[in-house]
Amino acid sequence: MNKKKLFSGIGAGILSLSLLLTGCGNADKGSSNESSKGNVTIDVFQFKVEFKKQFETVAKKYEQEHKGVKINITTVGGGEDYGAALKSKFASGKEPAIYNIGGPQDVEDWQKKLADLSDTEASKAALKGTLDGVSKDGKILGLPYNQEGYGLIYNKAVFEKAGIDAKSIKSYADLEKAVKTLDSKKKDLGLEAVFALPGKETWVTGLHLSNAFLAPEFDNNVLNAYNAKKVDFKYGDAFKKVLDLQNDYSVQPTVSLDYSKQVEELFSLQKVALIQQGNWVYGSIEGIDKEFAQKGIGILPIPVEGYKEDAIPVGIPMYWGVNSNKDKATVTEAKKFLDWLYTSDEGKEAVINDFKFIPAYDGFDASKISDPLSKEIYQYAQDGKTIGWTFMGYPTGWGQNELGVQIQKYLSKEAKWEDVVKTTQAAWEKSRNK
Amino acid sequence: MMRTRDLSYWLFLAPVLLALSMVVIIPLVFGIYYSFTNWNGIEVGSFVGLKNYLAILDDKEFLDSMWFTVKFSVVSIILINFFGLSLALIVTSKIKSNKFLRTIFFMPNLIGGLILGFIWQFIFIKVFAGIGSVFGIQSLEGWLSTTQTGFWGLVILMSWQMSGYIMVIYIAYLEGVPGELIEAAEIDGASPFQRLRYIIFPLVAPAFTVSMFLTLSNTFKLYDQNLSLTGGGPYNSTQMVAMEIFKTAFTESEMAYAQAKAVIFFVIVAVISLTQVYINKKREVEM
Repeated sequence: MNKKKLFSGIGAGILSLSLLLTGCGNADKGSSNESSKGNVTIDVFQFKVEFKKQFETVAKKYEQEHKGVKINITTVGGGEDYGAALKSKFASGKEPAIYNIGGPQDVEDWQKKLADLSDTEASKAALKGTLDGVSKDGKILGLPYNQEGYGLIYNKAVFEKAGIDAKSIKSYADLEKAVKTLDSKKKDLGLEAVFALPGKETWVTGLHLSNAFLAPEFDNNVLNAYNAKKVDFKYGDAFKKVLDLQNDYSVQPTVSLDYSKQVEELFSLQKVALIQQGNWVYGSIEGIDKEFAQKGIGILPIPVEGYKEDAIPVGIPMYWGVNSNKDKATVTEAKKFLDWLYTSDEGKEAVINDFKFIPAYDGFDASKISDPLSKEIYQYAQDGKTIGWTFMGYPTGWGQNELGVQIQKYLSKEAKWEDVVKTTQAAWEKSRNK
Repeated sequence: MMRTRDLSYWLFLAPVLLALSMVVIIPLVFGIYYSFTNWNGIEVGSFVGLKNYLAILDDKEFLDSMWFTVKFSVVSIILINFFGLSLALIVTSKIKSNKFLRTIFFMPNLIGGLILGFIWQFIFIKVFAGIGSVFGIQSLEGWLSTTQTGFWGLVILMSWQMSGYIMVIYIAYLEGVPGELIEAAEIDGASPFQRLRYIIFPLVAPAFTVSMFLTLSNTFKLYDQNLSLTGGGPYNSTQMVAMEIFKTAFTESEMAYAQAKAVIFFVIVAVISLTQVYINKKREVEM
């Protein structure tokens, strides 16, 4: 009996020990990997799924040219998932060397873990104004990815068939007229409706659409939005008009219409003539109908009545940040890599040709931009016909969870426009006065 | 009953205790601690006392989602148990292919919640609308775009998924009902309904306890199906508590506040579940 107990005791002891040991074993592996042979490993944690493959290829190329540097890329897609994933990454202790930050709020939250990048070449080459949102106390804490722009993407062939000259649309009145013409001929044009408004995607309504109308009151500067104690909806009526126009002439019900239905099912298959989206949809459209993507689409401005009616909101979607908690060698190498990406000839080529980015830096040959949407947006930017991106300066979650949700309520006819404005104004003030 | 608890007793228990404390108890304690701070997910700030808990009292969004969750749970629990028991009665009756049917009914439970959500989203939005437009039934169009249809969409999805699982539990108890009791009742002239009401139901009462507990905790804590089917839309009106908490934590970056909500949620679920088990257990004894 005693012997039996002894054995079982030993058995149990081994069991629990093995549990502890496996835990330690893993930890050992992690740490030895990092410090082997004095090599530097740069862990990149980034959010842009669209260029994951191309980015990894470019990083491989960089590794080959720079012996002793290893780049690990992890991609977690989608705006809101990225923030959560990044936090858990940091909490787990495996902090990345390079990660993404969005704007002033992220800078505020992460500033203790962000290195000053003002000594990089890239920060000097960055286009004027692009660093506003990530500068703090004389330090530059982020480097822009690229430029992106959005507006009303239209189907050229359908416009032609309906006898509308897209170039002549320069104001809200023009747009409304064009939409009504399209609507009256939609049977002949093979359209289900003129627009596809994705009310389910609160970022389309609450961030992008709203930005066109709120940016003017913040002087197109994301920091002004970030510091604003309240929001006036100065161009709120113009906002409502464009929203109503999109909703009234959209495929119904708009509240449950999502991104893939809007872009892939309806627009790419040419069932609608107009969608409010940006140059990032090019890839999806190309995947479905290459010829249509290359030749058949263009972009129209979102008209803000009383302000600019022929401007495209152009901005920086995300910034690269370098983790200041890492050792000096890693930080230096990380900066070198970013510099290489945006200022070396090879890097530049990859940025334009492989990533298909609209560059946010000087010294790029813009004629090489390959997709038509990016080209047009770049042209708008060159002509100065732009509205800034200020939605990164909205209070955290305000754009999507307050405004976007209230707009859904409005689209379902559960709330009046005045209520939308009032509720969201109150929410803005509440979160700013915390 | 109390035996001497020697070393080997504790050693055998150690792996479980260790695992349990690592993945349940320690996180729970940490969670409760965080709920009293202003943690933002990146660094722990200062201790704020009960501030987070007081803020919950007038957080309309949280209370709305709570109310929605309660409504959803009540309806789903009734429907899931009803369908589960019905299916169990069908497959334990003497029809052919009952083994095969068991497998079929259980299948939905093998599919992950997220995927199920997307499948049903397709059914509700595409198939329903298709049938609706062919037969001119207005009410089948525009599903998931209103609160009502979103609610029933979730209920249908949940019932479809969980009934098979609950069925298995009922089958186990139904097969344990002694044949001679039923036979005796039959000879005494009890109608099929009477046999069900007075013989079978009391004997499967323990199954009610288990099933109720499972459905209750599952429907209350629902997240993945909610996320993939409606995503809380329209205008967050079909957002359940788990999703609301996740949103507070990760999109609004109010980790500590979300933690406080989670603690309250935990307490509510625990209290309801335990009361339910207690009441049902008592009923079992009486019968």
